[in-house]
Amino acid sequence: MKIKVPERFEPTVKEIKFILKRVKDTPLSLAGITIVLFFVFIAVFAPILAPPAPGLNPYIIPRDESLGFRVEPSPPSSTHPFGTTMLQRDVYYGCIWGTRWAFEIALKVIIAIVFIGVILGLIAGYYGGVIDEILMRFTDIILAFPGLILAMCMTTVLTQAGWTTIDSVLLSIVLIGWPGYTRLIRGETLRIKNEDFIEAARAAGSSDLRIMFRHILPNAIYSVIIVASLDFGSIVLTTAALSFLGLGAPTGWADWGRMIYDGMSFVRGGLRWWWSWTYPGLFIVFFVLGWSLLGDALRDVLDPLYRRK
Amino acid sequence: MGLREYVIRRLILLIPVALGVVILIFALLQVVPPTRRVLVYLTGSPKELSREVIQGYIKMYGLDQPVWVQFAIWLNEVIHGNLGYSEYTGPVLYNLLKRAPATIELVIYAAPLIILIGTWAGINAAVNRDKTFDHISRVLSVLGTSLPSFFFGIVLSAIFIATLKWTGPGRLSPQMDSYLTVLRRLGQWHDYTNLITIDALLNGRIDYFIDALKHLVLPVTVLVFINTATLVRVARSSMLEALSKTYIIAAKAKGLSQKEVIYKHARRNALIPVVTLSGLIVGGMMTGLVITETVFLFPGLGHWAAYAAQRFDVPVVAAYALFSAIVFVLANLIVDILYAYIDPRIRLG
Amino acid sequence: MKEATEVIQIRDLYLNFYTYEGVVKALDGVSLNVKKGEILGIVGETGCGKSVTSLSILKIVTPPGKIEGGRIEFNIKGKTYNILELNEQTMTRVRGRYISMVFQEPRAALNPVYTVGDQIGEVFYIHRKEEIIKAVIEQLKKEIETTKGFKRRRLNIYLSLYERMLKNPRSLTIRLVSKVPILRRFRNLMNKEIRKRTVELLEVLRVPDPERVVDMYPHELSGGMAQRCVIAMALVANPLLLIADEPTTNLDVTVQAQILVLIKELQKKLGSTILYITHDLGVVAELCDRVAVMYAGNVVEIADVMTLFKKPLHPYTQGLLESIPRPGRPFTSIPGVVPSLINPPPGCRFNERCKYAMDICWKKKPELIDAGKDHYVACHLYSSGGK
Repeated sequence: MKIKVPERFEPTVKEIKFILKRVKDTPLSLAGITIVLFFVFIAVFAPILAPPAPGLNPYIIPRDESLGFRVEPSPPSSTHPFGTTMLQRDVYYGCIWGTRWAFEIALKVIIAIVFIGVILGLIAGYYGGVIDEILMRFTDIILAFPGLILAMCMTTVLTQAGWTTIDSVLLSIVLIGWPGYTRLIRGETLRIKNEDFIEAARAAGSSDLRIMFRHILPNAIYSVIIVASLDFGSIVLTTAALSFLGLGAPTGWADWGRMIYDGMSFVRGGLRWWWSWTYPGLFIVFFVLGWSLLGDALRDVLDPLYRRK
Repeated sequence: MGLREYVIRRLILLIPVALGVVILIFALLQVVPPTRRVLVYLTGSPKELSREVIQGYIKMYGLDQPVWVQFAIWLNEVIHGNLGYSEYTGPVLYNLLKRAPATIELVIYAAPLIILIGTWAGINAAVNRDKTFDHISRVLSVLGTSLPSFFFGIVLSAIFIATLKWTGPGRLSPQMDSYLTVLRRLGQWHDYTNLITIDALLNGRIDYFIDALKHLVLPVTVLVFINTATLVRVARSSMLEALSKTYIIAAKAKGLSQKEVIYKHARRNALIPVVTLSGLIVGGMMTGLVITETVFLFPGLGHWAAYAAQRFDVPVVAAYALFSAIVFVLANLIVDILYAYIDPRIRLG
Repeated sequence: MKEATEVIQIRDLYLNFYTYEGVVKALDGVSLNVKKGEILGIVGETGCGKSVTSLSILKIVTPPGKIEGGRIEFNIKGKTYNILELNEQTMTRVRGRYISMVFQEPRAALNPVYTVGDQIGEVFYIHRKEEIIKAVIEQLKKEIETTKGFKRRRLNIYLSLYERMLKNPRSLTIRLVSKVPILRRFRNLMNKEIRKRTVELLEVLRVPDPERVVDMYPHELSGGMAQRCVIAMALVANPLLLIADEPTTNLDVTVQAQILVLIKELQKKLGSTILYITHDLGVVAELCDRVAVMYAGNVVEIADVMTLFKKPLHPYTQGLLESIPRPGRPFTSIPGVVPSLINPPPGCRFNERCKYAMDICWKKKPELIDAGKDHYVACHLYSSGGK
């Protein structure tokens, strides 16, 4: 792969090569990457793997009219490889499009909280003083609530006020997520702020903004990447939990948690209708597992402390 | 600085957070339109909720007043124990107190298991780094963090409840439960603690003890499996870090055996962050409880809140959130104090 | 070189670090000896292997380091042992008792969650337990004679416990009783005795207000105080060899001077043999009787202090002495850098930077040869014929 890279980027390229090599060497991280890539593939090729019904929002699982309006799920068959869930909705379709949906939610949320976290964290860490104190109080207050519960409360309240459940779930998770990143970046900013090279940059006349974005952020970004990849999984887990409680996507939506919620009533029958909740569940498990392994692998590689072990 | 001053300082810092928590709940409640919000103030069942009646309540509880007046009124109500009325379950405070024991019983069994297993596994994994024990515990802890508790609970439920019929949902089997009311009326059963396992022993009924225990096994397993994972990871990395310190080599140079070095010197240092995390995990178990209790239909606070959330029952959800926050904040406080007590560097400044 | 007046002889010690980047050949056949009652200095730049040599003597080299060959002969009371062949259990009896070590960063060498008194006392407990128990027994016996009644009975119980401890240190009874809350109190007598001796030891080390210091935690002490405590820990069992790994490097210059004076005094008073590791030639000149110079994992020269400073033989030593800043002279340094220990040059490891380098210096590694009057040097300039 002989791509000619401008000299400026050579250290970056070398760094990336080192990271890739280290990741390749550990079997667990390799597993993590494979799993994640597998899901990415599914998400990207969803329309091909599970063609949506024409005219319908692809995220709504189409029902199989030929099987009637029966509530009980139908077992896996040639037309429905994973069987159907309540009201004859195809489980396979739900799992495939559920992947895309999971990515959509997770991406939206992570971009939002990283963005907020970076801005607020840099400001709080760099300028300190009153701004820092106030921001820290805010984060303290939000962090005083166990995450899911505040999200539950917020979703309930927002839907009462007229929001759709999906929007309220997204907003809730963003609201419980930004304090974590703000604190993380603030911590990193504080740590890096005292390094000599910042002093040097200031002596050379760099503006505050420049120092923050050109010097502090690139150093702080490693922790953010690690936490973000771990969070990818946990955000999906939280949305699934909210859906499981009936607070997420509406019925019939291609959302793993929702499918399990719909399938919950069939647990009473034991393993008779196992496919309605097992497949979505397994998708969740492996999705989160993949991202956890990836996050761990990245931590082993990117954390300078662990590098030389 | 001394322990006493430290505690006082922490308590003082607690006040803005506590205030903030209360304000946040209040702010969330404000999002709900006043016609629905009245329920948060009612103490008893409204006979009817016609428009005039609702308007009357709005006037009575000042829901048409400016925000700060409302806040004062609401806070006043809360302090006097009026947490509102739920359309589905009745007076909120009453339900809170009635369902608390079930949850407490779960926590009493789950928490010690989590802490003991977590620290033991983490420390041993660190001591036997990269050997079999380490690999196994790491795999299990990764699994524990990625397994959604509800999925795990459902799987266990499907296997042990629906298929093997070894136990069932709730705290007691249906027959035992209904017979309990008979026992109570006959005066042969006294609710000393409202914790069935303990009360069963105190009342001398082993059969109830066993039945209650069987119903506790699955939810406790789920709670323990999910929460131990993070503790194991932290314990492990904390122990690894302690083992890499110079004073460990110095201790060996004094003539201590490897075992003595690990358990006398490294472990105490490693346990410091573990203790704090344990407290936070227990305090944060409120989340896991919601899901676990729902899956196993365990009549505790979590299930009550989940049920309410599904029906958008605002007073209950708000009350549960407030309660959880208070528990969590208290847990934080206790943990901070413990931390200062254990680590002389904090205690003595 | 096999005299009874030698405490330790290291012969051809090889040590490797197996790292991710490759095998670091940290020690490449190190040989030196320490004579009884002397202060031998090991001097060299960072990375030359001096610290790792001392860790090898105590056999506490941590992985990825591994000793790959050689002998370390230790003479105790007339008998010689090869440390590298001793098993771990025996080593725990050697460490702290016959050989002990003082570390570079004093507050890092102390466990932050225990008081310094506890940590010094620990060494008493490990290595001088018998002596302490005997002293306690004496005290108890005396006190029993003068007391009556219930107290006398209690003291008698304690006495029997201590006598049992003396006879069988691993006794199950003792271990059980030590765990039970109230019965555990019998150990207080022992702890008091240990504390008394700790305070005495701290006094010898010129620690001001030792009664108070004993109850302090490491982070509460200044660098100098902490280092005295670490030295105390090392001296509790009156070791035959004390290894000091750059004990003053991280301290202020004034404190450094105090500690050096202290060490010199200790040597005279206790007759200790000291292996002093440093990179500071000034300290060497002031403190040491003999000096060993190390470079890149080899000992390149050993001589007594005067001779080394007046007549250095090895080019590296000469370069070092020349580079000491002197007023009126321009700064000089040895050109080049220390070679990579993963891929060291063949032959003598100093060959790249040596101005006298000959062909053979790239082919064969020089051995330590006797250059007369107990002066050894590893350099081909002196091998055939000598200077």
